[in-house]
Amino acid sequence: MGTSVQVTPLCGVYNENPLSYLVSIDGFNFLIDCGWNDLFDTSLLEPLSRVASTIDAVLLSHPDTLHLGALPYAMKQLGLSAPVYATEPVHRLGLLTMYDQFLSRKQVSDFDLFTLDDIDNAFQNVIRLTYSQNYHLPGKGEGIVIAPHVAGHMLGGSIWRITKDGEGVIYAVDYNHRKERHLNGTVLQSFVRPAVLITDAYHALYTNQTARQQRDKEFLDTISKHLEVGGNVLLPVDTAGRVLELLLILEQHWSQRGFSFPIYFLTYVSSSTIDYVKSFLEWMSDSISKSFETSRDNAFLLRHVTLLINKTDLDNAPPGPKVVLASMASLEAGFARDIFVEWANDPRNLVLFTETGQFGTLARMLQSAPPPKFVKVTMSKRVPLAGEELIAYEEEQNRIKREEALRASLVKEEETKASHGSDDNSSEPMVIDTKTTHDVVGSHGPAYKDILIDGFVPPSSSVAPMFPFYDNTSEWDEFGEIINPDDYVIKDEDMDRGAMHNGADVDGRLDEATASLMLDTRPSKVISNELIVTVSCSLVKMDYEGRSDGRSIKSMIAHVSPLKLVLVHAIAEATEHLKQHCLNNICPHVYAPQIEETVDVTSDLCAYKVQLSEKLMSNVVFKKLGDSEVAWVDSEVGKTESDMRSLQPMPSAALPHKPVLVGDLKIADFKQFLSSKGVQVEFAGGGALRCGEYVTLRKVGPTGQKGGASGPQQILIEGPLCEDYYKIRDYLYSQFYLL
Amino acid sequence: MLCIDRIAQWISASDFGSEGRGLFRGIEKTRDMASSSTSLKRREQPISRDGDQLIVTPLGAGSEVGRSCVYMSFRGKNILFDCGIHPAYSGMAALPYFDEIDPSTIDVLLITHFHIDHAASLPYFLEKTTFNGRVFMTHATKAIYKLLLTDYVKVSKVSVEDMLFDEQDINKSMDKIEVIDFHQTVEVNGIKFWCYTAGHVLGAAMFMVDIAGVRILYTGDYSREEDRHLRAAELPQFSPDICIIESTSGVQLHQSRHIREKRFTDVIHSTVAQGGRVLIPAFALGRAQELLLILDEYWANHPDLHNIPIYYASPLAKKCMAVYQTYILSMNDRIRNQFANSNPFVFKHISPLNSIDDFRDVGPSVVMATPGGLQSGLSRQLFDSWCSDKKNACIIPGYMVEGTLAKTIINEPKEVTLMNGLTAPLNMQVHYISFSAHADYAQTSTFLKELMPPNIILVHGEANEMMRLKQKLFTEFPDGNTKIMTPKNCESVEMYFNSEKLAKTIGRLAEKTPDVGDTVSGILVKKGFTYQIMAPDELHVFSQLSTATVTQRITIPFAGAFGVIKHRLEKIFESVESSTDEESGLPALKVHERVTVKQESEKHISLQWSSDPISDMVSDSIVALVLNISREVPKIVVEEEDAVKSEEENGKKVEKVIYALLVSLFGDVKLGENGKLVIRVDGNVAQLDKESGEVESEHSGLKERVRVAFERIQSAVKPIPLSAS
Repeated sequence: MGTSVQVTPLCGVYNENPLSYLVSIDGFNFLIDCGWNDLFDTSLLEPLSRVASTIDAVLLSHPDTLHLGALPYAMKQLGLSAPVYATEPVHRLGLLTMYDQFLSRKQVSDFDLFTLDDIDNAFQNVIRLTYSQNYHLPGKGEGIVIAPHVAGHMLGGSIWRITKDGEGVIYAVDYNHRKERHLNGTVLQSFVRPAVLITDAYHALYTNQTARQQRDKEFLDTISKHLEVGGNVLLPVDTAGRVLELLLILEQHWSQRGFSFPIYFLTYVSSSTIDYVKSFLEWMSDSISKSFETSRDNAFLLRHVTLLINKTDLDNAPPGPKVVLASMASLEAGFARDIFVEWANDPRNLVLFTETGQFGTLARMLQSAPPPKFVKVTMSKRVPLAGEELIAYEEEQNRIKREEALRASLVKEEETKASHGSDDNSSEPMVIDTKTTHDVVGSHGPAYKDILIDGFVPPSSSVAPMFPFYDNTSEWDEFGEIINPDDYVIKDEDMDRGAMHNGADVDGRLDEATASLMLDTRPSKVISNELIVTVSCSLVKMDYEGRSDGRSIKSMIAHVSPLKLVLVHAIAEATEHLKQHCLNNICPHVYAPQIEETVDVTSDLCAYKVQLSEKLMSNVVFKKLGDSEVAWVDSEVGKTESDMRSLQPMPSAALPHKPVLVGDLKIADFKQFLSSKGVQVEFAGGGALRCGEYVTLRKVGPTGQKGGASGPQQILIEGPLCEDYYKIRDYLYSQFYLL
Repeated sequence: MLCIDRIAQWISASDFGSEGRGLFRGIEKTRDMASSSTSLKRREQPISRDGDQLIVTPLGAGSEVGRSCVYMSFRGKNILFDCGIHPAYSGMAALPYFDEIDPSTIDVLLITHFHIDHAASLPYFLEKTTFNGRVFMTHATKAIYKLLLTDYVKVSKVSVEDMLFDEQDINKSMDKIEVIDFHQTVEVNGIKFWCYTAGHVLGAAMFMVDIAGVRILYTGDYSREEDRHLRAAELPQFSPDICIIESTSGVQLHQSRHIREKRFTDVIHSTVAQGGRVLIPAFALGRAQELLLILDEYWANHPDLHNIPIYYASPLAKKCMAVYQTYILSMNDRIRNQFANSNPFVFKHISPLNSIDDFRDVGPSVVMATPGGLQSGLSRQLFDSWCSDKKNACIIPGYMVEGTLAKTIINEPKEVTLMNGLTAPLNMQVHYISFSAHADYAQTSTFLKELMPPNIILVHGEANEMMRLKQKLFTEFPDGNTKIMTPKNCESVEMYFNSEKLAKTIGRLAEKTPDVGDTVSGILVKKGFTYQIMAPDELHVFSQLSTATVTQRITIPFAGAFGVIKHRLEKIFESVESSTDEESGLPALKVHERVTVKQESEKHISLQWSSDPISDMVSDSIVALVLNISREVPKIVVEEEDAVKSEEENGKKVEKVIYALLVSLFGDVKLGENGKLVIRVDGNVAQLDKESGEVESEHSGLKERVRVAFERIQSAVKPIPLSAS
């Protein structure tokens, strides 16, 4: 019958933990999202680790840590090896987000969960799709079509639609139906009656979202108020997601007001971020692409924002009030944390949160009401080793090296003994020291310097050292040596070489400072100290999360009205609230599984396919209703040549069926229609419509959400016997099709 | 009401099949011969002549180059590919043959790329015709389209009457153009389409259209060779049923890229080294950017050339740089990697030149100027002043349209006519080095072999080249399963596709899978080209539609006794049930289980029913009846006898009517003995008993006819039983 669909949450149900769900469609396992939190808590990934190897494809929805943070770790440590699908911006910005995370961590701790290389590897094989691209999965997933669609929350953010045999599973989390400066609203409402909808209840209880204009005004007023009294403003932001909207607001406002206060955007990857974002115009809102098409004004050509990639630049900036947008939003790491600690004790300063901090982070703590007066912060810093420490370190290094060398020579000796006569192995000892696992603080370097000497420790065996000798094993035929013609072809690439500048990083560019940080091999260590920070600056939180609020979520779900609904990612109360709401109003199959609890949402729909014979179809006349057409058919089942069921016209006149009125009457629309026909019409109490003098018309029965499972509409028209009555009845009939 | 509906259905049904609009002169009828050996995921199609007709008509670019515009129609959906202008003509003559079609019927217009011969009649088509469908192009195409056409309007020096559109029309057209990203699937009125990278210029696309499972690929201009900044055209994932493909290069083979580039740089290097000037007349956008990339790089590698200026004399190209800098995602990896370090489109050795007044012609230089055809403008001005010096050189870098000066000088005539009408000797060297990113024969044939479309339609090529290409392609596909067609402008190609209509029966109707002979009745919902059959009460579950029931309640003034109504109703209707209303305890009647008649108060009764044609009819007759009673009320008491009498009278009337009707039918009808009617026809006699309807006659034919006639008359004059319920 239907396609079997199972959903198993791996993380992020009944709480606000990162998102990660296993959706299995006819045995093909999708991992949808692969998130981690800013605390990098490995225990969260345990459920994932149990299934990682069985996963056939990974779909990513948004370019932030909560949606893709665990990807490098899972690829490296958990045995995840499936192809990853994402949109171009999610891929790029996700990569930059992970770089920023890593570099921020590395600066303050001995971060060893993954390395930059792991990030590169994880993102290297992402298959990039565009919005509404129907991608037919190859191999095992034959028959499954996946397509990302606009989600509206972040640049490139997607809701995923997975279809097999015409049945659709939609995964939509963190969508935003409202249009923003740089993003279009989601297109979720264009999907109607999918078999399964997986969505979040994150904002189910959150309702009082202020209008955009008012919110922007408050936002800018708050900032300018603090700037004018000489204070600084810190906005802890994410690396490449919601921050883009904030940048545009500030940029726009600064141009309008002609402010001269500097704005700094400070992350380890800020300049790359903006460079890439500039080339993602086709993913942004209509207004942005329109303005580019007509005036070639790239909205992200920021005139008022200075991009910084290290904190020294900020410290060297001219003193005076300024606005700084810095990562991470959670204040757990990154520049934002340093700046917060510096600025917190000045009451003129403002820390403006634009999103709810992740659970258990400093940002969340500061957002509690009332805000804490003091916070205890552990500040860590990476410092180069100096003095005695450095000497001790070097001694340690030398000792290790000596030991290595000794061990290597022993190994080599044994090898040479063992493989005496076989030259192939003799080059091996030359690479022994590239393994630098012994490095105490994760810095490599001095080890390389001595590598040549290390390699040439004379073996103690009797065999004299010699360079490796390779036998020329080329083959000959009657024309001479057999060659590979390809080796002699002038390659096109040769011409391009001039333009290929040295060392362009294919996987994404890193800023110079970043590069220097990576290459910085000076011995260093992390020192931590605990500080008590007095929080006397203003703390304000505003909603720039870019997610639909509770009411919109409900109407959105009602509009989509899936046959089965799976709720994830929200605290227990919100999940329960939305579940009850949907059960009562939208659909009878609502699931909110626990972690690792598998719910089977296979559709129990009966269906079979038939061929419509030409004879039958030539007698069917469709009536157009919206974008579909309807007709009544009476037919007899027959067989086609290919042994398929086909519908033939009835041999004799069919029994009359109960007539059906098809159509969707909206009282308000009907009112307009009537008044256009010259009928006096007004709303009477209780949703009734008074037409003319005497006739009233109302909808009765359960007035559920539109298109919900509320059954057919019931319309009551009543009035005394009069001409008007029949006239209005005729108008009413004209709104329907009789089948 | 129901009847009229049905009749309307029949009338429109008889119209249904007449698709042919008389506009198309079918010249080549092709049967769909899908071969089973085709690759990829083609569905098997039975060989049959019947099926739905698919028409492809080039309105431009049919056996010519320029004004690309191809119309196609299938199953009531109409699509137009490209909307170009012929660069060699002006005014209306340059337009495609739009009068062959009715623009208002076009559902979708797809533009492949921004070149004049593919996009320039769009403002005209959008603003000056009845077209009201939707237009799609890629982001980069749209951004450049506006700049290019604005420039086109300014440059083309034609009289006001000949102006096809002005700047305002272009601006207005911008609002109507929608954008589509590569691979993004868009559905309009059931037409699904998406596009692939075409490689020809920035933003160039090949469109794949899917109508009810039949796929058509329109390549536009494409190139399968990756160059300095563009990707090669993709090979579509699915094989199309029809491939409409360009044939600009015909059977030519391109030289390999690096040889062309070397020739190009060598000519320039030697000319400037000898103190000559190099003119490169080029189209402002597309290939020009590629040439500039080559030049900038060559200069960077040859420091001895640094004192020789390179200009690109195109304000348009300058404006479009921002577009090139933005849509790097549509370019190849090489450019994207370069972009990582510095913007390759910020040239170090090339400077823009706004007009000839800013140009100090004092020594060797390289100038790239528009227009590419040397029709007028800066490139022509420079050509006129340089053409008689043999030190100078002119490099024609791409395909030139027939009828332009650039095409003429390729053949190196002795003299040329200057803009001022004088003739001058043509001494400058003329080199034709094609950088045009059109697929050559090798690319075309490999592309087609990979796709194996059963129908190939060649467009966008000169007639002779096209015939040669057709012949050569025939040798490549010798199995005869591939049809290759080369329609001229306005010639239609007709094909037939037998697309099965499949419906999915869902929900309650599908609980039991039916066997042969069972009946299936339900609502058939068509959306796009998918069909579903479902039970009426599940309509709201499986579709966006919903059903409704309309309950009607009408009050009628009636002051008489309720019993009277009951009495009268029982006389007329077969089924009248009495009951009492549960709430008010008042009596109620249910007529034919459809209409409830209730006494609301002393002076009113109410009727309530749920709308459908029969109930409406029943209720109408009840209303009439009640009104009649109201009118008769005062008489009822007094004229009881009259009522009986009138019944008798009625009986007599009926008899009279029957008699009259029989006379009109049979002629000789007499009242015989014992009340029987005697009917004589041609000497045969029949006797009819009026009460029982029995007929006695020796002639069986007459007997039967009289019986039928009498039955019909009876049913006409007596009340009808409600059997439909």
